[in-house]
Amino acid sequence: MTSVTASPSADTPAPPRRAGGRGAPLSSAALGLLGIVGFLVTWELVVRSGLVEERFLPTASTVLGELRSLAGTSDFWASVRETVTTWAIGLAISAAAGVALGLVIGQSRFLRRATNSTIEFLRPIPSVALIPLASLLYGTSMQSTLLLVLYASFWQVLIQVLYGVGDVDPVASDTARSYGLGWAARVRYLVWPSALPYVMTGLRLGAAVALILTITGELIIGGGGLGTAIALANSGGATAQMYALILMTGFIGVAINLVARLVERRALRWHVSVRREEVA
Amino acid sequence: MRPTTKAAAVLASLVLLTACGGDDDAGADGPDEVTVGVIPIVDTAPIWLGKEKGFFEDEGIDLEIETTTGGAAAVPGVVSGDFDFAFGNVVSLMVGADQGLPLTFVTNGTSSAGVEPDFGAVLVPGDSPVKTPKDLAGKTVSVNNLKNIGDTTIRAAIETDGGDPEDVKFVEVPFPEAPAALANDQVDAIWVLEPFMSAALADGARAVTYNYLDMSPELDIAGYFTTTEYAGKNKDLVERFSRAMNKSLDYAGDNDQEVRDIVGTYTKIDEPTRAKMVLPVFRSEFDEASMEKLGTAAVKYGTLKNEPDLDALLP
Repeated sequence: MTSVTASPSADTPAPPRRAGGRGAPLSSAALGLLGIVGFLVTWELVVRSGLVEERFLPTASTVLGELRSLAGTSDFWASVRETVTTWAIGLAISAAAGVALGLVIGQSRFLRRATNSTIEFLRPIPSVALIPLASLLYGTSMQSTLLLVLYASFWQVLIQVLYGVGDVDPVASDTARSYGLGWAARVRYLVWPSALPYVMTGLRLGAAVALILTITGELIIGGGGLGTAIALANSGGATAQMYALILMTGFIGVAINLVARLVERRALRWHVSVRREEVA
Repeated sequence: MRPTTKAAAVLASLVLLTACGGDDDAGADGPDEVTVGVIPIVDTAPIWLGKEKGFFEDEGIDLEIETTTGGAAAVPGVVSGDFDFAFGNVVSLMVGADQGLPLTFVTNGTSSAGVEPDFGAVLVPGDSPVKTPKDLAGKTVSVNNLKNIGDTTIRAAIETDGGDPEDVKFVEVPFPEAPAALANDQVDAIWVLEPFMSAALADGARAVTYNYLDMSPELDIAGYFTTTEYAGKNKDLVERFSRAMNKSLDYAGDNDQEVRDIVGTYTKIDEPTRAKMVLPVFRSEFDEASMEKLGTAAVKYGTLKNEPDLDALLP
């Protein structure tokens, strides 16, 4: 959990990180690509050399070929749509609830103290431990998975918002008060801008966790989506297809992360961390 | 067209009936929606086939087949009412009854192929010293679920062969992962069903026992069940469902190729594998004698505490 609390500081990177200079953005993209190619080549070699039997792990080229042929089927895209829908609904609800509750609780000393131990008790409960409860409540429907997604991503957002609200400059806060700003105005002009970098971090963490739990829920509970498709391929002995679907979940994860970063940059374009990055 | 007109006729007569008698039957204004929870495996082919053939429609049933990724969801699904019926194996239901869950079969589901090769077997690597079931003593064998139909029938096979049924260690490995566990020497033997059995045999594994067949060539392995409460409250619906399901089972039993084809629609088993794999027997009648034998074995090996009450369990 330290990474959660530490991550806001990662949003204000020190200039030396970009010391690469003008060539850095290009070479980092190239490096990223090189990493992926390296991974695929290693995979291919591990299988071809017989280190792992091909019937248990098909070669990278086989799996990519399978993914390409899957991409031509409507079933595949229906699964992708279902997974992304569950993810998006889950993240939207937990983001809204996390931000709203975080703003209210964070600004009240009394509420913060009253809820602190409860939050610290509930937060570490792994979402997957709620699978029996979810399937009793909602059976194998999408709601079951949604419950897991909500539970996991909500805390990520809430905790970040609480930290963000706690990070408001006390002098600024006192100033706002003495100028007679009301609750709503203080939230609008003071608390929200101060907390926004944290909110964005919370959303990014929540987005990743929500995807993990979406796939987990679909895989274990069923009810459709890529996770269920993976389970189906697995139980049918369609190994190449199973790995192709797993690769797809990875691609969705990358896409989500890219979008999250884009949103973060846009929302925080006034913020020192983003401005500095753009200069570099 | 014909099933629709027939359904319409059924519907019309139902409307008439309710108009006359003021019956409290809720499904009077259309076909009854019935949800059945099944695992997407070869064994559940008949219900998919029956749905395609319109057997359920003929009985005024709007059938919704819901796939669960594991068998574990079946019993909670039925008990919580998410499913009206579900597909489950005989020992799972016996265990449920043993623990006080009032469940009852409404129809048969799958039975042993009755001849070698059966559709499930205990496999060892080709060069394994294990030749017959009694050699499994002291070995580690993988099953998909502990204290269920797999270990019970395997222990019985060991004992029949003159070995010590208690001197074998079972570990849980899902069927899809079992062949890899065998290849990597994590276990000495694996229990798998089709399509994994054929694939592993083709890769050089050897069958030590077809444990279902060894228990009895007539062994019924799984069926469609519901709660006794549901069965008591919905007598007419259960009767119609059973008729449609039994028709589906007998149809599947007579039409191998159609079974192999329909399996391709709800599983990811590829065509060559489907063409080769061993199919279970599909039939509507239960074989009570073999079920009694299975129940006795389950008590003997500690899977059950008490001898199962087959009268309550069977329709």
